[in-house]
Amino acid sequence: MLMALAPAASFAEQAILFQPVVSIYADAEGQGLLNPEGVACSDNTLIIADTGNNRLLQYMVKVDTVEFASQIKVSQLTNPIRVQVNSQGEIFALDGKNRRIVRLKKDGQFAGNLDLKGVPPDTGATIVPRSFKIDQEDNIFVLDIFSGRVIVLNPQGDYLRQIPFPKEFGFFSDLAVDRGGSVYLIDSANSMVYSAAKEATDFLPLSKSLKEYMNFPTCITTDNRGVLYVTDQNGGSIILLGLDGSFRGRKAGFGWNEGLLNYPAALCINSAGHAFVADRDNNRVQVFR
Amino acid sequence: MRWRPDFIIPFLALILCLGGQSLTHAEGKFNLKPGAKGKNCLNCHDGFEEILKNPFVHSPVKSWDCVGCHNPHAASHDKFLDADPKDICVRCHTKVFPDNPVSTHKVAADGNCVNCHDPHAAKFKFNLLKGGSELCSECHKALGERIAAVQFKHAPVEKGCVNCHDPHASAAAGKLLKDNVPGLCIKCHDTEKINFQKKHMNYPMAGTRCTACHNPHGSNQRGLLYDKVHNPFANRKCNQCHEGPSSPTPLKLKAGGFELCRGCHSNMINETLAQNRLHWPLLDRNGCLNCHNPHASDQKGLLAGPIMDVCGKCHVDTINKLKTVKSKHPPVEEGTCMACHLAHSSNQGLLLNKPSVIDICGECHDWQKHSTHVIGDEAKDPRNPNLTVTCQSCHRAHGTDADKMLLSPTQTEMCTKCHKEFKR
Repeated sequence: MLMALAPAASFAEQAILFQPVVSIYADAEGQGLLNPEGVACSDNTLIIADTGNNRLLQYMVKVDTVEFASQIKVSQLTNPIRVQVNSQGEIFALDGKNRRIVRLKKDGQFAGNLDLKGVPPDTGATIVPRSFKIDQEDNIFVLDIFSGRVIVLNPQGDYLRQIPFPKEFGFFSDLAVDRGGSVYLIDSANSMVYSAAKEATDFLPLSKSLKEYMNFPTCITTDNRGVLYVTDQNGGSIILLGLDGSFRGRKAGFGWNEGLLNYPAALCINSAGHAFVADRDNNRVQVFR
Repeated sequence: MRWRPDFIIPFLALILCLGGQSLTHAEGKFNLKPGAKGKNCLNCHDGFEEILKNPFVHSPVKSWDCVGCHNPHAASHDKFLDADPKDICVRCHTKVFPDNPVSTHKVAADGNCVNCHDPHAAKFKFNLLKGGSELCSECHKALGERIAAVQFKHAPVEKGCVNCHDPHASAAAGKLLKDNVPGLCIKCHDTEKINFQKKHMNYPMAGTRCTACHNPHGSNQRGLLYDKVHNPFANRKCNQCHEGPSSPTPLKLKAGGFELCRGCHSNMINETLAQNRLHWPLLDRNGCLNCHNPHASDQKGLLAGPIMDVCGKCHVDTINKLKTVKSKHPPVEEGTCMACHLAHSSNQGLLLNKPSVIDICGECHDWQKHSTHVIGDEAKDPRNPNLTVTCQSCHRAHGTDADKMLLSPTQTEMCTKCHKEFKR
């Protein structure tokens, strides 16, 4: 299965158009996606957390095509809701049901659960990862909602540091790490973004409430041009913000046709400027550019 | 021409005389005849004398200053009022609202003073239309009925709402309270008294929020606890969840989040965690306490408030939208979120309580069983190969601005989204 992408040259110089390019509906066997909630991408790989089918799907991203590569279905991963890929091609997936991060080899073989080694207990031994991200140095940032903190681990899973949640907030659903090492949190209940600069010990509000532009953001990510992308789940849109939290635009909108979104759950942008959106309630992943 | 002194003196005398007469006769801004103030009005408004027999008469009325509020000739406002009814009272009553109120009574802030006060005269102090709490119960009917019905009464409430609430606005606290809780409560309830401490199992209560457990308006439970009391709390087993009263951190919880509740509610929590999709706040630092009151509540299931308030804590945009849409869905309007959703976890997206949206709608809308647009697993949605047609393909369960909760402004527009051949 081969799907055409638009030319990917000179992304950095282009305006963010967010035009639909192609939609992924099924695997090579024709089995349709069901409520995909996660996407991870690099310049040559796209991983989809096909949550409703309890599997991951791997695609090859080329200059102008997306090509199905493989299905990853392991018994240790029952409900993938977030997925990330590191620079070595290793795949990490958050199992929403068992609340653990599963580590998979490049070929999809199970390589163990991410053992968060040396993490100081806060509210107890329990850690509830609601989301996680991997930075360009393969460090792992875990959003631990139980103890209200972001735990930073090295690529082997050893504890490096933690950043506590701010005192006042609604509910954090996701985090992002930019190229400069700053960490961003998205508060779904208050539609606010918080940030902590690299090595900072606390989060500060980056924006005032953005309820004017979104009504239940659940995912945040960055590109290599200094733009924050927030998925407005209940509004069926993608909101663009500057790194200072300023509103830069609203893309897509609620609907079923291609180019529109129905409860988008996650977003990933590669360095070529392709935006892969887990269009959850439309049972597809859409590629924008 | 030169003024002759013998002419100037009588001239000045005349001016003074006329001026003096003018000052004597011009009463107020309408130059009323002497003695014409107010009493002149009674020549026509003869029923008014009865009103004035009331024990409490508004001071401008008492001084016959009808024109203080009314224009006798013409006015832009009803009842010949000299200004907008919403502004006229605060021209004199400038201190009714504090400079930076924490809370305001909407009726007062809107300037509807006459909803509570008679601007002329009344039987009750402050020209109130009714006495004591009876007046408040006119609007706060359910609360008034509850106060009257409860077995255990709170004495200050019996004496009147204004013991704790400022009827106009409060600079100190929310809900028009004259002071914050517990500051307001400890004015009467001395936390240092042995009896008080004994009742609270010797836990330090001075800084805690009394209204988390006690219903200040009265209750059917002893101690004015909310009607529904959590078992360990009712049985005074505080140390089941908290450290002991003699501990350095006596109110500290023995475990965090849902782990605390798991000790007793393990089956429920295990069932919750066995589902694919979790309501994530259940697993955060506050856990169950995000939605439930661990001590006592007047809501079923020890919810921390009415369900719309509880859900609205995070889903405020959804709740606000529900209020404004033209076409509302009754279960949503009534706040029965649980008619379609599960609060803890589910195997379905959006924490729906059934795998099929059609089955959820079918709980109430049985018409679909005999006559309906084709829906279900066999009906492919032409807009998206991975979707089938369900009720949600055309309707939005939380309501829309179109009739019948349709997603498009008109039925034609809705239908032609799929039936494009009929699009004009």
